[in-house]
Amino acid sequence: MNEDFYIGYLPKMPKNTARVIKIFVVAAFVAAIGLAVFAWIGQKPFAKSVFEFGTIKDFEGTIQADGVPFLLVEKSDKNNGLPTFERFPLVAEGKHGFDAKRFDGQKVKLKGTRIYRDDLQMIEVVSDSVEIISANPIEEKAKNLGKFKLKGEIVDSKCYLGVMNPGQSKPHRDCAVACLRGGIPPLFIVKDSMGNVSELWLLSETGEAVNKEILDFVAEPIEISGGVSRKGDHLFFKINPTQIKRILE
Amino acid sequence: MSEKYVAISWNRQKKIYDIILISGVAGYLLLFIGLGASFQPNATIETLLIRGFGTCAILLLHIVLIIGPLCRLSPKFLPLLYNRRHLGVTTFFIGAVHGGLSIFQFHALGVINPFVSVLTSNTRFSSIADFPFQVLGLIALVILFLMAVTSHDFWLKNLTAPVWKTLHILVYVAYALLIAHVLLGVLQAETAPILSISLGFGMFLVVGLHLIAAFKETNLDKEISSNDDFVEACSVSEIPEKRACIRTISGERVAIFKYDGKISAVSNVCQHQNGPLGEGKIGDDGCITCPWHGFQYKPENGASPPPFTEKVPTFNVKIADGKVFVHKKSNKAGTFVEAARIE
Repeated sequence: MNEDFYIGYLPKMPKNTARVIKIFVVAAFVAAIGLAVFAWIGQKPFAKSVFEFGTIKDFEGTIQADGVPFLLVEKSDKNNGLPTFERFPLVAEGKHGFDAKRFDGQKVKLKGTRIYRDDLQMIEVVSDSVEIISANPIEEKAKNLGKFKLKGEIVDSKCYLGVMNPGQSKPHRDCAVACLRGGIPPLFIVKDSMGNVSELWLLSETGEAVNKEILDFVAEPIEISGGVSRKGDHLFFKINPTQIKRILE
Repeated sequence: MSEKYVAISWNRQKKIYDIILISGVAGYLLLFIGLGASFQPNATIETLLIRGFGTCAILLLHIVLIIGPLCRLSPKFLPLLYNRRHLGVTTFFIGAVHGGLSIFQFHALGVINPFVSVLTSNTRFSSIADFPFQVLGLIALVILFLMAVTSHDFWLKNLTAPVWKTLHILVYVAYALLIAHVLLGVLQAETAPILSISLGFGMFLVVGLHLIAAFKETNLDKEISSNDDFVEACSVSEIPEKRACIRTISGERVAIFKYDGKISAVSNVCQHQNGPLGEGKIGDDGCITCPWHGFQYKPENGASPPPFTEKVPTFNVKIADGKVFVHKKSNKAGTFVEAARIE
């Protein structure tokens, strides 16, 4: 074979061909470096959210099994002599909600992993780690803040608070649906004109969990009216799921 | 060419090719994950891996797809084609890691089977903004899987070249699905123009090079017709020694070779992967060598030298007044035809 005709099984590549191949390989490497750099320049900042995977801690408090299950841990400071509580929403491992009904009003010890984003904390409860100490019902009234029409996005609270990052918007939609199917409590994320973000726990108008009813509206801009209330630092948004409106069709 | 099937017939070029490929992929993933961990320290390792493997697979697929038209434009790119199947199989594996991690991350550990979850979590097929983009990626991955597992001469032989070629043409369907997967997926959330521009540049390169190559090929497909059984194809002086000119006669591309004072004509289509035999050369062994992967045929009978069994159709030829005339009808593959002597 002459210099200008080359097949891969021949011992030596002609110089002109080798030069073209080298240019191609260098161009491919430059494209790869460019893609890696552009991909990170172009991505939005990731939220400061944390899942302390592998770090299991002990918690003690009282479980409330309303629409969203919480562990109420008594704080050291009191309010007018009355106890104050830090509220930790509870979830189970994987894409599963925590079945809190059998522990409602019970003071318990449990093991769990912290998930947190800014000031909002959650506990992923280790299976079969809950030990009942005593009955300890806590009477706590929600403060009604009135009726509101809000625009925002429904997310699954577990991923949003830190198990995944990013844990919201279109690429995360399917995961959010899987989590809500499994009973993870939904959060409604609202951003005001200044960019401040509020997170509200979504409930039905009667205060029950709403999961299956909202699966079709997850991770997209929606508008909904409902009553907003507060317990401790947590906001709750009671809605009628049939009245959810899509902002973008 | 190999007379028996082995997993890979290694040679020096294949080894160099694979070393560059593997180090390129490893280097890209390390760079991507390193940059991500530095610029976005809050990103989880799963997200870094999913996005790293995803972008790597898209980049590799673009490289796979531009090699074909580049080789049509210049034979100097042919060494890239020689071992392209390794690039294709690597693209599948990288894509499979992306898909596997995504399915585990987004669909496993729930109340339904992860694959059922992929297909049922989002059914808004009528919405562009909310289209279920993961299904598109899954279908593309299935196509790349079928291509990867049949990416061996054993399957080429047993499926037959037309079936194998049709299956592998599906790479363009997979490419379209993956572009839609990116456009309707991550680019719905990550809206920085630089990301769309990067993808657009890749598409421009793939589509543009294919169009330029196709335009070049249209000249080859200009049909030569005649009322006689023999059609005037070219002049003897047009054909370089040991090389061919390609003409389209009765809808078929014919490679007309000049060698050792003789002219022979065979089908232009190599039995291996439909490579253009007319762009090949007759070597010192007297065989036409396909420029793509080096499959060989005798010019007089279109048959591969023993022990190989590939055969291509031959054409009767004659020479008059310095012109080459080729019969309109091809002979059965492997039929001996006396070469026309150049006076």
